[in-house]
Amino acid sequence: MTRKAKRSALCWLGLSPLLIVVLFPYATMLSTALKRKDEIFQFETTWLPDSLYFGNFIELFANRGFGRALLNSLYISFGATLVSLAVALPAAYALSRLRVPGKGTFRTYLLVTQLISPIVLIVGLFRLFAYLGMINDLNALVFAHSAFYMAFAVWMLQSYFDTIPKDLEEAAWMDGASRLKSFRRVFLPLCLPGIAVTSLFTFVNSWNEYAMSLTILREGSLQTAPVKIAFLTGTLYETEWNIIMAATLVATVPVAIVFASIQSYLIRGLSLGGVK
Amino acid sequence: MEMTQTTPAQASRPQSGARIGRNLTNLVFILPSVLLSLTIIGYPIFEVMRMAVSDVNRFGKIRGFEGLGNFLKVFQDPIFIQSSYQTLIWTVAVVGGTVLIAIPVAIILNEDFHGRSIARTIVLLPWAVSLAMTALVWRFVVNGDFGTLNLALTQLGLPFNNHPWLATAASAFTIEILVGILVSIPFTVTIFLGGLTSIPVTLYEAAAMDGATRWQSLTRITLPMLRPFLQIAIVLNVIYVFNSFPIIWIMTNGGPANGTDILITYVYKQAFAFGKLDVAAAASVLMFLVLLGFSVLYLFMTRQRGAAGQ
Repeated sequence: MTRKAKRSALCWLGLSPLLIVVLFPYATMLSTALKRKDEIFQFETTWLPDSLYFGNFIELFANRGFGRALLNSLYISFGATLVSLAVALPAAYALSRLRVPGKGTFRTYLLVTQLISPIVLIVGLFRLFAYLGMINDLNALVFAHSAFYMAFAVWMLQSYFDTIPKDLEEAAWMDGASRLKSFRRVFLPLCLPGIAVTSLFTFVNSWNEYAMSLTILREGSLQTAPVKIAFLTGTLYETEWNIIMAATLVATVPVAIVFASIQSYLIRGLSLGGVK
Repeated sequence: MEMTQTTPAQASRPQSGARIGRNLTNLVFILPSVLLSLTIIGYPIFEVMRMAVSDVNRFGKIRGFEGLGNFLKVFQDPIFIQSSYQTLIWTVAVVGGTVLIAIPVAIILNEDFHGRSIARTIVLLPWAVSLAMTALVWRFVVNGDFGTLNLALTQLGLPFNNHPWLATAASAFTIEILVGILVSIPFTVTIFLGGLTSIPVTLYEAAAMDGATRWQSLTRITLPMLRPFLQIAIVLNVIYVFNSFPIIWIMTNGGPANGTDILITYVYKQAFAFGKLDVAAAASVLMFLVLLGFSVLYLFMTRQRGAAGQ
């Protein structure tokens, strides 16, 4: 055995307890979602289903209104991503490129908005949206999510902007391009990857949010996916875990794949947030 | 602070009026973000504070000034006291457990080994999933009758057939703390990995030349160099865990018999189950003050590090 192979074996061995605990829920979800209902409530439970059964997924969309919940979640997450990008892009550009009075104060302010959690303000948030007549309005969540996830978007974008050499824009000005034109033609295209990654993070955060959605969307047909799934346990006299596990699988796996593909960029955003 | 400080270079070059004007125009760039967060975050802070000192009926109508009466009601409520104590246990146990596990995990993940990126992805995976979903799946995993935890333990020959994990407060709270640790590990490991990559390799090389063992370089170089990251990880996790809502809300709803209630589930119940909006607001203000304290500590620590780094 080479040294690296030996070290690899040791590392995997050391990590194995944690990896098992992390993966255990996925095994549970998969195993349960593919079973018939009566198979779960058997006296002798097993890991593998008798046969692969996809009826839970059909039931979920056909009779439980889960498609609607996914659409609500999609609407909110897309909206929140767009709104938070719309306010974070200029702010990040200013932090990276322009002289702005009170830059330091603005940075501290952003950090403070990140340290306040929405759940502590939940009573006030409810009142705010009640005043605005936006209880049971998906747009309330669009704005709420974008406000709470905006600071992270600013940090991520700024860390990207800082890596783009100023010379490129300056060269464009020399060639007679206006500031706006050089921003659109030179700067923006170079930042697209950073903007894409930032959007994905905002999207995932918004998609996963629970407490605000639970509180502000009080009507069943407006619930987001996480809230809807949690409700499935409470409303039935007998909890149908097979349906619920199918729902969690649908709502988590795509997002987990997206997240896994962009996780290495997380460290950039964290580093500007003052963590690193 | 930073606004008033001018570097010598700036001071010796007086700014023209036009230039200051343009700098002020640049405020337009940050204005939308400030307005959005002032509305969505700032206004609710004001509302919570106003309700905390008012007499509010269950429909949210303010009937009069209450002074500190709501705070008195909160402190006289034995469930509030119990929830505060449980919040302390919850926060200390989750943050402590997270840090203790995350340090060795980060050190291993910083090693060069086969399949490292796969291992990293799996370790960070819980970060990607909604806390609500994680809590829900774990609630099923530990289900006494049909859960997969008892299934797995029984298959290993352990006597846990039909063990009802969530039936007693002590066991339910322990399970919730473990789930809390699991979901806090990814963020904490990420911070530590950032810290580990910032340690210069030359330090280890020099130590190896002086005949240091691997253990010695771990305890004399790695851990001391990680210290600032450790402090930051602790404070940030305290802030996040202190008001973490979905895990407890979904797994036990604070039960059985308030045995797993923490402050945030107490506030939520007061407001949205019992309609006592003023009491909920007063408890929120108390939580907010604790959070503010930790936030100031965090700002202080990052500033200090920033100053040390310059």
